[in-house]
Amino acid sequence: MAQIWPIGGGKGGSGRSFLTSSLGQLYAALGKKTLVIDLDLGAANLHTLVGVPDPPKGFYDFIHKKISRLEEAVVETPFENLFLISAAHGNFDMANLSYEQKMEILRAITKLDYDRILLDLGAGTSFNALDFFLISQSGVFIATPEPTSVENIYRLIHAIYMRRIHSCFNAPDFRALESEVGRQFGDGAANNPECMMKVIARMYLEKYQQLQDEFSAFQFKLIINQLRKQDNAALGSQMTRMIEKHLGLHIEFLGNVAYDEHVHDAICLQVSYLERYPYTKTVSDLREVAKQIVESAGKQLMPRCG
Amino acid sequence: MPKSFAQLNYYEMLDIEPDATTFDIRHAYNAALQVYQQGSLASYSFFSGDERQAILSLIEKAYSTLIHDQARKDYDEDLIRKGELGAEKVASAAVKKPVSIFDISRGSASGVVSTNNEALKSKISQSQLIGDILAQNELCGADLKKIRTELGVPIEQIAQETKIRQDHLRSIEEDHVTRLPATVFLKGFVKSYLKCLCLEPVEELSALYMNTMARLQRK
Repeated sequence: MAQIWPIGGGKGGSGRSFLTSSLGQLYAALGKKTLVIDLDLGAANLHTLVGVPDPPKGFYDFIHKKISRLEEAVVETPFENLFLISAAHGNFDMANLSYEQKMEILRAITKLDYDRILLDLGAGTSFNALDFFLISQSGVFIATPEPTSVENIYRLIHAIYMRRIHSCFNAPDFRALESEVGRQFGDGAANNPECMMKVIARMYLEKYQQLQDEFSAFQFKLIINQLRKQDNAALGSQMTRMIEKHLGLHIEFLGNVAYDEHVHDAICLQVSYLERYPYTKTVSDLREVAKQIVESAGKQLMPRCG
Repeated sequence: MPKSFAQLNYYEMLDIEPDATTFDIRHAYNAALQVYQQGSLASYSFFSGDERQAILSLIEKAYSTLIHDQARKDYDEDLIRKGELGAEKVASAAVKKPVSIFDISRGSASGVVSTNNEALKSKISQSQLIGDILAQNELCGADLKKIRTELGVPIEQIAQETKIRQDHLRSIEEDHVTRLPATVFLKGFVKSYLKCLCLEPVEELSALYMNTMARLQRK
């Protein structure tokens, strides 16, 4: 079965699509059959980054049942071994999938036959982004060393864990749980996964065990992108330490990727940054990160309890 | 789920082991400040102002306790009484002694050679082959190699002890006339080689070798 890495980041512009396309190219160059999927349905642009400016087909056709199997939505890219499912040319409302459509896409993705699959998720904490992120246990968070991005990453991590907890309960149970947490820990505590888990441990021991097992199986990773010279290189490890200590969640810090002006140039020229500037610090960072991701790969997980 | 921050003991708060040294404690305190300080990027938006203040004051308290010898001892005893800490894990009052910079023994190479010297010498005197080679009236690289293999000394060891590059040693042993180093160097190299194998008399043998080589080059 394919290894799936969803790549998410709270804030727009932190480099998710760039990272996805770069990792995809790196893995493809290693001879792995690699698929990059654009799941930023409302603001798709991964196709531009992998050199397919006008993809002939994509998610749109799958969602609207023009094609029955997701495999048929795959298009080739100019890079050998690298394939793409694009979200370009959608309707104006493509970003707002119904729950059934989303589940159908998730199921279809897990069935795809590729060595490595990378998902480029949208910004923000919409349910789409959260559920797509939870498709595998080895999601990658990407942040830039700016307060705005750090803030959004914490929000996203929070939201992902809350979403997972949420999906284990039906609506009335969850409301009861929320009010119980609020009663014990004060208002706003229902947003804290740690408080939430404490109450679940008392009220639903079985579900607590299950969630706890799942959380400890998560191998989420963090990458700090666009690190400039003057930035604090230890930020990533400090952040994972914070998350571990205060949220009780383990996230592995994979490394920094240096900032480079030339990324902008390469995107403007619509050429591959990796090919045009292969000997930059940024590219060697990307290679290192790509290696790290593969070395700590997790199993897959369908986003449903039980 | 882990304990909340206020329930951690001071060592856990600062992420150090109970046997941490003063230096470690100071270091950990600085690292913690970098993360929790007002304006720190790593904890941006993570806490409300009050929470941050509470954490900072806890860290301050942890640091001022642990950095103070007596206060730390009292705190450790407290933890041991509560069963949070095994008695054996607490830092002993081991004082770091200054290291004398003149005491550092510079590797064991010289010592090893001197102990091996006797063994080599006795091997040389016992070996029929080496005796024959040394009795000849010429000495070439191949002879040196035979002696070396007879003595069981690897070429790497010679390179290490004499600081002569292995490729030089090899071209000497294989009599690669064109690849040999310049005569001045060659003389020195061969002398070191002979000394390394405890072959005596060094001066005579090296002169013999140089003559042999001169003859080979003329051919």
